[in-house]
Amino acid sequence: MNPVGSSPIRLVAADELRLMLRNRVGMVAFSLLVLLTLVAAFIAWSHQRDIAEMRARFQNEATQAFDAQPDRHPHRVVHYGHFVYRPLGPLAAFDPGVDAFTGNSMFLEGHRQNTANFGDIRQSSLLVRFGQLTPAFVLQVIAPLLLIFLGHGVVARERERGTLRQLLVQGVSARQVLAGKLLALGLVAMLIGLPAMIGFALIAGKPGALAAPMAIIAGGYAAYLALWSVIVILVSALAGRSRDALLGLIALWAVVVILLPRVAPDIAGHAYPLPTKLETDIAIQRDLRALGDSHNPDDPFFAAFKQKILRQYGVSRVEDLPVNYKGLLGMEGEKLTAGLFERYATDSFGKQVAQSSLMDGFGIASPAVALRRLSMAAAGTDLNGHRRFLAQAEAYRYDIVQRLNRLQAENVRYADDTAQDEGADDRNRVSSQNWGMIPAFTFNPASARDLVRASLPGLWLILAWLAVVTLALFPLASRLQRHAK
Amino acid sequence: MSLLSHELRLLLRSRMAMGALALVAFLSVASIIAGMVEVAHQRAVIARIAPQQAEDIGAIAKWVDHDKDAGSAAYYSFHPTWDAPSPLAFAALGMRDVSPYILRVRALGLEAQLYDGEAFNPELALPGRFDFTFVLVYLVPLFVIALFHDLVSSEREAGRLRMLKSLPGRGGHLWLRRVGLRFVLVYGALVLPLLGGALLSGVAPLTMLAILLLVAAYLAFWIAFTLLVDRMAWSSVANAAALAGVWLVLTLVLPTIAHVAINQAIPVGQGVELTLAQREAVNRAWDIPREDTMHRFYASHPEWRGSPPLPKGFHYKWYFAFHQVGDESVAPQVAAYRAGLEARDAAAGALGWVLPSVGVQAILARLAETDLKAQLVYQDRVRAYHARLRQYYYGYLFTDRPFGKQDFDRAPRFAES
Repeated sequence: MNPVGSSPIRLVAADELRLMLRNRVGMVAFSLLVLLTLVAAFIAWSHQRDIAEMRARFQNEATQAFDAQPDRHPHRVVHYGHFVYRPLGPLAAFDPGVDAFTGNSMFLEGHRQNTANFGDIRQSSLLVRFGQLTPAFVLQVIAPLLLIFLGHGVVARERERGTLRQLLVQGVSARQVLAGKLLALGLVAMLIGLPAMIGFALIAGKPGALAAPMAIIAGGYAAYLALWSVIVILVSALAGRSRDALLGLIALWAVVVILLPRVAPDIAGHAYPLPTKLETDIAIQRDLRALGDSHNPDDPFFAAFKQKILRQYGVSRVEDLPVNYKGLLGMEGEKLTAGLFERYATDSFGKQVAQSSLMDGFGIASPAVALRRLSMAAAGTDLNGHRRFLAQAEAYRYDIVQRLNRLQAENVRYADDTAQDEGADDRNRVSSQNWGMIPAFTFNPASARDLVRASLPGLWLILAWLAVVTLALFPLASRLQRHAK
Repeated sequence: MSLLSHELRLLLRSRMAMGALALVAFLSVASIIAGMVEVAHQRAVIARIAPQQAEDIGAIAKWVDHDKDAGSAAYYSFHPTWDAPSPLAFAALGMRDVSPYILRVRALGLEAQLYDGEAFNPELALPGRFDFTFVLVYLVPLFVIALFHDLVSSEREAGRLRMLKSLPGRGGHLWLRRVGLRFVLVYGALVLPLLGGALLSGVAPLTMLAILLLVAAYLAFWIAFTLLVDRMAWSSVANAAALAGVWLVLTLVLPTIAHVAINQAIPVGQGVELTLAQREAVNRAWDIPREDTMHRFYASHPEWRGSPPLPKGFHYKWYFAFHQVGDESVAPQVAAYRAGLEARDAAAGALGWVLPSVGVQAILARLAETDLKAQLVYQDRVRAYHARLRQYYYGYLFTDRPFGKQDFDRAPRFAES
């Protein structure tokens, strides 16, 4: 195509923009979309602020309650446990991703791995399934439809009225016409995306926000809107009449943006079924029993462990150990269960990744699927982001429990720990000052590099789409040129 | 009749109309199959748990049988509960993919167990499920718009409208025939696969009748609305654009705004708060005199008051007593949390009177028992079952009866509603 500076292209574009400005319904729709974007940005921002405030408050309460415990036996504290809450990164205000669909509070205790609970999804009416009003949703779903409304007739109208032929006879090439129309619609697309991007910059441009993922999000959405502009021009030029162009585009939009994103997860879910939590729990118990029975004093596994410890300290009875054997046993048991939790969690997560990958494959057929992946991945609100929280919560749980087991091994005497007399309960408590020494939970968000790496596949897909449909404009221009003669 | 067959011939000649009808039929069939596959999968998962559970309990029974301590039996035995899909669930999968339909509980504090989730991939849940409800609520209006938006305006644009209006007899009959024919065809394409699925799933006839009426009403709403716009004397293109805009607002924009508004207006932080409070109450028992706990427990459960006093060492009855006292101490928060969830659900239901898309989805999910209310009903059943479990184990714990292998088989079993 000619460089955009050439005047016929600009004339065509200016002409088209003038027409759009005069289209009152179009202007109303455009203003409404801008308003909706601002509302969405405001809602997402305030919602995120509330969430952040609430989770921080609960996290504080939990930490204070933990530190305020009285003198206790360390194993009591293992079962008193701790609560952790998943904080949200600044980019979540733009695209909260799966945040509403996962629990965000977790109870950590010894020998058990609990689920994350109290996510929005189980506390909301069915409205939650209609989608969430966020800037990401507006740009992914609604903006393309507005482009369709505004642009479906840009070429079809000229063909219907015979003005396209006039233009071509006057010496403007079909390529210039298409380029001009594309320029006009592209400008509109930029204007549509602008409020969301300004809101995005305001929301996310906080200290701690990461520049590279933000750039990827901005670039990805720009490419997506550009892609829709080209698609609208293509269909408008292919269809003989405005009405056919409009119906065809709405059908295309319904399939690509509404239908495929729903069909994809269904197929993925059945391709890789997940084991239920109940089955995983039973399997873990079965594996533990196979390892050894800590209730049975003659169990070979635990007898061997005991011998190892006795040899290590060079004594012949657990009573003679300089440390409390029960604490050591607790550490060994926790190591075993945590290893099993890790194995099963990794297995389940592997299946979920396979599901998501299969779903991402639909990005080849639907740019909306590709954009959703890019957006969530860059915002750190995808499955990976949730997994980060779960993994860090588990690591923290293990650390706390082992610290407490160590306290039991070093600060509680074995004789007191096994005594049954009335005063034993008081003798085997350790000082409450120990609780404050246990570090508080801090969530490490993903690095910019990780977020970018996860979002690049989606970006390449969208850019590939953009390249393919843009190339399709060339044979189309030649066809229009031939028909005019 | 010949007039009607003439109209049918006209319709058959329209490639777009036939394509649209074929697509409706295809999407309806596909969504019914997808829903039935999902429901069959859920039933298979529920059927899978019994043998695994039996093996698990068997292993626990084996070592508890050594010293026959009812406390150990109660502490280590988890009991399965499940919420089987209703016959109609295939048509409206609702919230069943994100809320657990299987949950194991033991006789310890229930408030720390009841809200546990299920393992699912949140990325799959995010877009929503592909089921009949989705096809009806989201896609069918678009087909209605495609089929009906230019009934009048196309005649006007073709210059035939005046001629049609001046026909002898009642010209209204022509439109009635056209609209009626299209309505019946779309309705048939939608409902026939649904009837097939319902027959295979054993949906009750009355329920089915209600759904047939609901689908007809929703279809009629969109057709009436489309024809209303069509009479505005705009061009076909303007009609289609305006209608698609209305569809967007009614099915996507307003429900999402309403969702945010409802969740902002009715906060439900009590869930997290009650788990924190319950844990505090349960763990405090270790730091106060054991008799205080027993006193509180006997006050609300006088039937066990005759139990012998606590021995010097540990006794499980005290342990279970403080778990129950902990549960009871958060009863107000539990009620408040529950009321908040019900208020959210009720608000969405009320919105259904204004927004047809929300109304239809709410009614279908209610009939299929896959909505938030159904989740709460399941929780109530778990609660009732948990109470029976407690009673059963207390019968051994508070009378110091030995708990042997055969007593594991006598434990109450969860019964379907």
